[in-house]
Amino acid sequence: MSEIAVFFLHGLAYAGLLFLVSSGLTLVFGMMNVLNFAHASFYMLGAYFAYSLVQVIGNFWLALIISPLLLMLIGAVIERFLLRKVHVLGHVHELLLTFGIAYIIHEGVKWIWGTSPQAMTITGFLAGTVQFMGITYPVYRLFLFSVAVALGLAMALVLFKTRIGIIVRAAVDDSAMVEALGINVPLVFMGVFAVGAALSGFAGVAAGPLLSVFPGMAESILIDAFVVIVVGGMGSLGGAVLASFIIGQLQSFGVILFPQFSLALIYMLMALVLVVKPEGLFGEKQ
Amino acid sequence: MPAAKSAVSRWGLPLGLALLAAMPWIMPPFQLRLITEAIIFSLYAVSYNLLLGYAGLLSFGHAMFFGVGAFATALALNHLAGIPLFLAVALGTGFTAMVGLVVGLLLLRVKGTPFALLTLAFNALVFAIAVKWHTVTGGDDGLSISPPAVNLGLFQLSPSNPIDMYYLTVVVIGLAVAYCWYFTRTAMGQSVLLIRENEERMRFLGYNTNVARLNLFIIAGALAGLAGSFYAVFNSFVSQDAVSIAMTTKVLLMTYIGGTASFVGPIVGAVFYTYVQDFLSDLTENWPLIMGVLFILMVLFAPGGLSGLAKSLAARLRGANNHERGPDENH
Repeated sequence: MSEIAVFFLHGLAYAGLLFLVSSGLTLVFGMMNVLNFAHASFYMLGAYFAYSLVQVIGNFWLALIISPLLLMLIGAVIERFLLRKVHVLGHVHELLLTFGIAYIIHEGVKWIWGTSPQAMTITGFLAGTVQFMGITYPVYRLFLFSVAVALGLAMALVLFKTRIGIIVRAAVDDSAMVEALGINVPLVFMGVFAVGAALSGFAGVAAGPLLSVFPGMAESILIDAFVVIVVGGMGSLGGAVLASFIIGQLQSFGVILFPQFSLALIYMLMALVLVVKPEGLFGEKQ
Repeated sequence: MPAAKSAVSRWGLPLGLALLAAMPWIMPPFQLRLITEAIIFSLYAVSYNLLLGYAGLLSFGHAMFFGVGAFATALALNHLAGIPLFLAVALGTGFTAMVGLVVGLLLLRVKGTPFALLTLAFNALVFAIAVKWHTVTGGDDGLSISPPAVNLGLFQLSPSNPIDMYYLTVVVIGLAVAYCWYFTRTAMGQSVLLIRENEERMRFLGYNTNVARLNLFIIAGALAGLAGSFYAVFNSFVSQDAVSIAMTTKVLLMTYIGGTASFVGPIVGAVFYTYVQDFLSDLTENWPLIMGVLFILMVLFAPGGLSGLAKSLAARLRGANNHERGPDENH
């Protein structure tokens, strides 16, 4: 019984991480209609920045703040000077551009930090364990899940209850009208993209101590995050929550129940959703 | 101007074929291997451009076809004793076509960005199978193969001999590329082009656009499988690299650097990529970074790729302002 609880918690922790990654991806797609292939590369950059920051200043919490801010800056620059330029050429070019950026970051990381995995150590309260209901569980995994829940709530609040959220959502539906009301729409999109990049950087820092930091970390999470937004429905925050939960549990229990096919389970889920509801669980029909 | 064009089309093909036939006498053997590789990748890139340039389908999963073709051929050669080389290649290509049918039926239900994303996920699935299914695919170790010689009655061609392998590749891959060219001229190929331009109208005219798209997906997949199959024979080895996301990235870079707007663009790109990689990898181990930067520059400043640049340069030299309609101009 307690073993099942442990696996359930493992699933929750991974679901938390998946949601952290896919929330930014979904935000950018939902608001700007751009599928950002470089999202997972931002995540990896966030983790590497944090790794270097922890080496230098030795404080994980500071890294958790500074690294996303750096990514926010990088995101703003990329949107302003690259992405905006190809916007007129259409979706294919936007996709290809982010794909190229992902490729460059991937090779750049290998060039700067090398190819071997780096361990990111945490100290103090986060490194410990807690005991409850007869099990001992690492604090860090619980922390990961709590952060994801807090972030999801905060995003929902900002998007649906504040003026900023109204402006952003309106800019998607009718950018000409919003522009006419005196709002700088290109600036709004730059902001959305920068926040998306910051979110992925944050997820990267959070993932560092759990998975260690290595050049392949972008690719593996990118595909899982894609599965999340396909299953949940592209651009739907609620869909991302539900799909993260399902896939987190599937990964966790898959390993003990079907060790041979645990990798294939989430793709089977994806194929199933595609057959039954191609637009995803919470997605809107195209 | 029309005279110049007809001279090119009259002499270009025979000259090109003569050059290809003479290659083993002009080039040293180590160069021949590089050329053979470039030719194999030309078919891979041309098949990719049937999807991207002609049908407007952006796929991030073309390596699944390339790799499936490579593995299926390797498995046929290793497990079916005495199988002729061409039969093994045909089995690999045919099996890839079947994979194309199954994947196409699932994926073509969605369009645009979700399609691009799903192709990547399916590529990842196939890659995961190649890594995990150790007993069949060899996992991390890959599979070694010893391709048999092709008996042509009067003489034999052995894949382990660079010159023989070169001629085998030129003939078979050349015919496949020629078929691709022919396909873009057929009614079916043209209808795919028109579907990209205006799907609604085509449906109104009575075309079943889903079937046309599925056909194209299967053909492009099978041809990529043929390229993969030759790649396995050429290296006498196949590993998970053949199905990796990196192999998909490679075809995307080749096609895009060459240019999606014309039929020859991807061929130019494949040759360019193979040679630049060979050149740069001697200089620095970070050569992929340079390829990535080149790719970004192309996307930003020259969406027509190298062939597009050549076209506009030629037009400027002639002082003419001709707008030749390529397959990729109306995005």
